[in-house]
Amino acid sequence: MKIFLALITKELIGFFRSWGLVAVVLYSFTLDIYIAGAGIEMQAKNISVGYVDETGGGMSQKILSRLHMPEFQKPVMFNSREALSRSIYNRETMVGIIFESDFEKNLQKYKRAEINLLLDSISATQSFQALQYLQNILLEYADLKYPVKLKIHKLFNPNATTSQFMAMAEMLSVITLLGVILTAAVFVREKENGTWEIMLLTPVNPKLIILAKSFSQVIIVMAGVVMATGIVLFGAFDVPINGSLFAFFLLSFFYAFTSAGIGLFVAAVSKSMLQVAQLSILIMMPLIFLSGAWTPIHAMHPLLQDLSLISPLRYYIEGSESIFFRGTSFVDLWSYFAGVILLGSVLYFYGFRKIGRLF
Amino acid sequence: MADLELKKITVTHKRVVAIKDASLRAQEGEIVGFIGADGAGKSSLMHAVAGVASFEGEVVFKGRTFRSPKEAEPLKPLIGLMPQGIGLVLYKNLTVDEHLTFFTKIRNIPESPSLREYRQRLLEMAGLSPFTDRPAGKLSGGMKQKLSLICTLIHRPKLLILDEPTTGVDPLSRLELWDILDEIRKSEGTIALVSTAYMEEAAKMDRVYLFDSGEIIASGTASELLEKVAEYSYEPTPCTTRRCITTMDYTYSIDPLDAPRKTPTLEALFFINALREGQQIPHIEISDRENKIAVPPVVMEAKGLTKRFGDFVADDHIDMQLRGGEILGLLGANGAGKTTFIKMLLGLYPIDEGELTLLGKPIKSAKERRELKASIGYVSQQFSLYKDMTVRENLHYFASMHALDIGKAQERISRYAKELGFEKYMDELPSDLPLGINQRFSVAAALLHEPVVLFLDEPTSGVDAIARSQFWQMITLLKKKWGISILITTHYMSEAEYCDRIVLLKEGKKVADDSVENLYKKFPKAKSFEEIFLHYYEDRI
Amino acid sequence: MNSGVIAAYILKEFKELLRSRMIAIVYILPTMIIILFGYGIRMEVTHARTLIIDNDRSKISQDLTVRFQNSKYFDTKVVTGITLKEALESIKRAKTDILIIIPDRFEKELLKREKPEIAVFVDGAFPVRASTMENYVKGVIFDAASTILKEKPKNLVTINNRNLFNQPMRDEDAIVPGLIGLILLVAPAILSALLIVKEKEEGTIFNFYSSAVSRGEFILAKIVPVFILHSINIFILFLWATWLFEVPFRGSFTLYWLSSELYILTSIGIGLLVSVITRSQIVAIVLTIIITIIPGFLYSGMLMPISSMSGESKIEAHIYPVMYYNHIIYDTFLIGQGLDSPKNRLYLVILLFYALFMLLLGSRLVKKETG
Repeated sequence: MKIFLALITKELIGFFRSWGLVAVVLYSFTLDIYIAGAGIEMQAKNISVGYVDETGGGMSQKILSRLHMPEFQKPVMFNSREALSRSIYNRETMVGIIFESDFEKNLQKYKRAEINLLLDSISATQSFQALQYLQNILLEYADLKYPVKLKIHKLFNPNATTSQFMAMAEMLSVITLLGVILTAAVFVREKENGTWEIMLLTPVNPKLIILAKSFSQVIIVMAGVVMATGIVLFGAFDVPINGSLFAFFLLSFFYAFTSAGIGLFVAAVSKSMLQVAQLSILIMMPLIFLSGAWTPIHAMHPLLQDLSLISPLRYYIEGSESIFFRGTSFVDLWSYFAGVILLGSVLYFYGFRKIGRLF
Repeated sequence: MADLELKKITVTHKRVVAIKDASLRAQEGEIVGFIGADGAGKSSLMHAVAGVASFEGEVVFKGRTFRSPKEAEPLKPLIGLMPQGIGLVLYKNLTVDEHLTFFTKIRNIPESPSLREYRQRLLEMAGLSPFTDRPAGKLSGGMKQKLSLICTLIHRPKLLILDEPTTGVDPLSRLELWDILDEIRKSEGTIALVSTAYMEEAAKMDRVYLFDSGEIIASGTASELLEKVAEYSYEPTPCTTRRCITTMDYTYSIDPLDAPRKTPTLEALFFINALREGQQIPHIEISDRENKIAVPPVVMEAKGLTKRFGDFVADDHIDMQLRGGEILGLLGANGAGKTTFIKMLLGLYPIDEGELTLLGKPIKSAKERRELKASIGYVSQQFSLYKDMTVRENLHYFASMHALDIGKAQERISRYAKELGFEKYMDELPSDLPLGINQRFSVAAALLHEPVVLFLDEPTSGVDAIARSQFWQMITLLKKKWGISILITTHYMSEAEYCDRIVLLKEGKKVADDSVENLYKKFPKAKSFEEIFLHYYEDRI
Repeated sequence: MNSGVIAAYILKEFKELLRSRMIAIVYILPTMIIILFGYGIRMEVTHARTLIIDNDRSKISQDLTVRFQNSKYFDTKVVTGITLKEALESIKRAKTDILIIIPDRFEKELLKREKPEIAVFVDGAFPVRASTMENYVKGVIFDAASTILKEKPKNLVTINNRNLFNQPMRDEDAIVPGLIGLILLVAPAILSALLIVKEKEEGTIFNFYSSAVSRGEFILAKIVPVFILHSINIFILFLWATWLFEVPFRGSFTLYWLSSELYILTSIGIGLLVSVITRSQIVAIVLTIIITIIPGFLYSGMLMPISSMSGESKIEAHIYPVMYYNHIIYDTFLIGQGLDSPKNRLYLVILLFYALFMLLLGSRLVKKETG
């Protein structure tokens, strides 16, 4: 146990002495998550609207006045259809509305009229959302009396902000990235600095060395998780916590070991930090994209869906979402824990054995 | 007028003055030597002259003056620089042949019969003509340096700047490097500026400049310089005054001493300069070990030890014995199999064939090894310490790895620090310390658990004369006080003489195994151990 | 400039790249990113797992459930006799996305015009997805409702919609061209970032310092191999986009190719700058990733159209070269105006300016001395 502690202390000293590494870790667990949360917006907002009004105003302006922030920018008037169309083709305007000259007449006479819409549908999702916003506005304007009432509850994340979600997804990606790279670096740095052999020659059981070294990095990652959860998730984005925070940290702890296991494997096959960087990118990209962080699993290509079953990050992300947003009780989290622990132990023991052969 | 003249050159690195007001002159065909401890400013001056570092002052070469790297640009076709570090300028994936072609092309030399002939001559001088298809990464250290040198020579530079080309290189390759240099300077009239850690080499140069903490403090021919220190050099005698120091072979004293004088070597310059400056050269001491043990008569016995890397046999059926309480010197050229052999002993490489008995136990399994690790100390070629931990933290870490209890560890660490003279560096990072200090504290780390046997792989390469002398005092004291066995490799043949017994490896085979005395008897004409070494290696003598 | 010297340097760079494993990163990484992101990012919602508890089991309620069952947007399961708690639990466990509860007496109340209430629960964990699902449900239910609507609405305005550029609103069309912009920014930058810092770390940079090779020649020798290797990626990525992801290509291939080459040069220039200012490979790689991936994403137009940006992010978007290239690339794939559009011409000139500026800056900053 004393040796175990000495090994961990040594790694932690090494970590804090390399200020570049500390800076990268601090950055990743705070600003990086913040930028991802604040910057990446998938909800359509602030949509640019242009219009051509051939009616002479009135009804058309009433409708246009209903387009406002945050969904729409102030509509911009164009003098001709050509001008509007050019603006859309130049992608300066996303939604183009044309009120034809008989629009107002039709509306007064027949109580119904049509507007022409030109929609830049390149950003498919955003365009689709813009269309739906517009439809809702027009329905409201029509003041329809539907015979049914709809009561919609958005569960778990009633305000449905992308930032909370993106921030969390980014945090989980950061945990993966650093768990792998830091662990691999601990071993490869010894190879690069030539201290590897000295390490082999200490009369300490290699298993203890590997365990202590990877554990020290798990500690660093866990410190980052606590910090990011406190400062960024709760502090900056007000992420709700409907489940048990303890369960989340426990799950993170197991997951940190899983990524450390991947790190061990990377360390076993790399000779230099450069190879670590390359290999980590190649392994991590699929892992993160198969996890459901960017897109729900069941919306993926079927083959990718099957593959995602072996991504430990998938279980971690679903588990974390369940804890934060869904408030799933501890007992019901067993499947996520099982997924993370099972894949985690396979990966960790594989990495462990792989690097153990170098001892 | 001199062909090369440096006028008051000052080089500053990040506001620290690396070399100040250095001036020198040299004529066509001369070899100028730079000697001095590491960090004395030799490399900085070389970089300035080669036009790769900014400086103050003037360099006049062939009647043309430059004051900055930019102004040096038109002269670069005439200059060749080989920076410090083995194989530093080589691309490890490119072959020998591709290197020569690349260096020819970037020097913009047109293809011609005379070029082809010159190139072939260089290849042959370097002994690399059989290996033109081998990637540089797979050459031995000596071959890498020879390849670097001929790549630097391919454009026939008139000014050749070589920064420690021979550090870490075996005596034979060193001789070959010097042969090439000598021939080129004669046939091409090249001026060569060469820094070296081997005083035998410095003695052969036309002029020698002694560097100390950023200044040139002495210059002249080797004999002029030796004359200046002759009066302070004595046969080893105990010192009585403060301005006096005794090494393995000499006593140097500024104050007159009642002892027979001894003809000094250039190494004396370092000691006498240090004494003049009033520098503290810590006195090395070793107290008795805490746990007394009986060192067995045979500590290590290897029978037919063999290691292969693919087709290449690194060690070919080597038999060797390390007896209790002896210092065994393991010598051989770069790539002869010394390091591989030590690594087999330590279990860092699996043994392909043969039997190994350590401390009376045959070694088979990893578990048997682990039990023995507590009795072995090892210092590797590059003094592998953790660069991000202070000296103290490093030592505490190694102590806990050997499960020493805190009190005992603390006591031992402070004792070693005092005895081996690195007490005042305890809270500094290894990368900020001179190589000599790193070397001593690496040995301290290897001694914390009071081993029975110590393996030292090239512990003195690149270390300056004073630190080397202290190192050997420490080693002999260890033998005397602790009675442990020490296996050591080195490229300094003068150090071989401090060993009790020598084993010489050549191309993976053992070619000699005898005491230093007996070897001298075998080769009565040999004036130094280097000559004995070369006898085994050279077919040309 | 001496062509023999440059050629020798370039040849050496090529040999090194081919013999080291670095070549893998040149071709595996771009293809991996385009395939993973291209297949991986799905913003549209199809097959939302929907649970309908039909407590009414009347003709109208069955009519309604059939509408859900016939939609490709929903995978509908109609159940009866399970409690709300059990159903909500199913959402909690991420087994169900949407829960719709039709009350008993639904038909009767409807016919009596008592406005029965349908309760809908949506999993809000994925916000974009949640609001899309909400709108789908609204759409189906209101559409069904309007068929039995009795009174005429006043002021009903309908939309005659024309989707331009991406008629079927495919995610692939939306994302893949943007990915090309991301990849061609990140990959050449990473490779070129390593090239000089590697020589610095290993010491071979001295060969450049101490020879008469000029800075321009050295930079050129570093750029050309990366440029050639990544130029091949322009075609590979084009193939993946049009063949694998079936993104239409409506514009001029010449414009696509030309702007991509300029963009690669810009990216190499960024890497070069990083390489010049850093001292170790690991820092160079991390720095390059940080300064390219995030802007590459944010200003690609993949996630958010540039026209929707405002304030700082709009200014930042105009500073990074990403936006200009992406405008052209979406044009060549989906719009097809080509060089007829003055904006494309302007942006092409801006790209040229960026490429020259970055390379010039990089070569100005390269030092031919130590320290």
